[in-house]
Amino acid sequence: MPLFEAKDLHLRFGDRVVLENISLAFEAGQLSGIMGPNGAGKTTCFNVLTGRYKPNRGQVLWQGDDITGKSPQDIARLGIARSFQLMNLFDEFTVFENIAIALPGTRRRGHDMIARAYADTALVDEAYSILEKVGLAGRADDEAKSLSYGARRALEIGVALACRPKLLFLDEPTAGLGSDGRARLADLILQLKGELTIVIIEHDMEFLFSLADEISVIHWGQVIACGAPAALKANPWVEASNLGRLN
Amino acid sequence: MSDTPLLALEGVNKVYRRGLLDREPAFQLRVDRAFMQSEIVGVMGPNGAGKTTLFEMIAGSNVPSEGRVMVAGQDMQRIRYLQRDRLAIHYHQSYQVRQFRKTRPSFTMEQAASAYPLVHLFDEPQFNTQDGYIGFMLDFFRKLRSEKRLVFICLHPTATFQLSILKEICERFLFVSGGTVTNYAHFDDLTSQSDVRQYLGVLAP
Repeated sequence: MPLFEAKDLHLRFGDRVVLENISLAFEAGQLSGIMGPNGAGKTTCFNVLTGRYKPNRGQVLWQGDDITGKSPQDIARLGIARSFQLMNLFDEFTVFENIAIALPGTRRRGHDMIARAYADTALVDEAYSILEKVGLAGRADDEAKSLSYGARRALEIGVALACRPKLLFLDEPTAGLGSDGRARLADLILQLKGELTIVIIEHDMEFLFSLADEISVIHWGQVIACGAPAALKANPWVEASNLGRLN
Repeated sequence: MSDTPLLALEGVNKVYRRGLLDREPAFQLRVDRAFMQSEIVGVMGPNGAGKTTLFEMIAGSNVPSEGRVMVAGQDMQRIRYLQRDRLAIHYHQSYQVRQFRKTRPSFTMEQAASAYPLVHLFDEPQFNTQDGYIGFMLDFFRKLRSEKRLVFICLHPTATFQLSILKEICERFLFVSGGTVTNYAHFDDLTSQSDVRQYLGVLAP
């Protein structure tokens, strides 16, 4: 049974169809990709999977249980974390504090959680181990707003990891990154791969082809192709395109 | 196989007149043709000839001046507005297009007998050599056909590879020009016509 599954999702905004019969399956421990041109419906699809929109028809299943229409909070509590294409961080707080706030141990403490997080060595250790993982241990005391774009991306992934997810959704993680930033991000994702199940939405085919076990291509709000990167790349038109020539 | 065509354009005529007083037609498009089974149809023609008008009439968002558009036996103009895309869906580039002049309440109209579009109209899909999606798009058109859908691809070719795409994937061609829609069973029949060659210009094979 796939860890996470979407079956025949159909979504309308007013009189327009935005998702048509989308079916996806994410196997535990795998890195799955969702790819498609601008306006194809990738982020909208993510928003249905993570509970922001309720589909008009179809089902979302987590470990076989129907979670369609559950709130984003309830879905997050199941162990599903997501990053956003537009980053959401607490800019005035330090890098450490951004991570500490997201840790389940801190969230249980109620008021003045940051002061207490600093006092709890177990939480401090956990926050630092996440910062090590995303390569930001040296920046722990800097304010989030002082970070470069690439470092903010890494921090956002750190915040998602702090929720101790079983499944991590990343929405266009390479958006706004240069080639160096992309390479560092790819390294980070490769390191996380295998530790948890990851789903990445990405516009950049090359990036996704190098990381994913399985890719679904979305266009016109529908899954137009699906398969392992090698199989998708073997398509003669894909080979003939610039991308194919690069490989 | 049923005798009901997947799509029938029955004596369809669309006329736009110059104005309320001047009844001289400014635009006219006549088409009378039935599509019995699933296939991939390429549509070409000069700007303003009526390619998009044809698609709009099939999708039920443009009302023919005469005649009827029937999808799987249902008259598009009698179907509830929100359900028309369950019969025929029109995409311009990446997005679904629809705009209805709603003349009667939906609940008085018929329901669509399908839950998933039977006719897919792709108006100028973006075939970009840079991004590699072409192959996936072509496979998707073939998949729709194998699922018994009727697929129309309207393209105004600006590069040779776009003609190659149509040649590779389409099983029938419609050339919209001079107020009529002409059917060609083979790519070579289409491209040997003098008016088509003139339209294609330097791209003509």
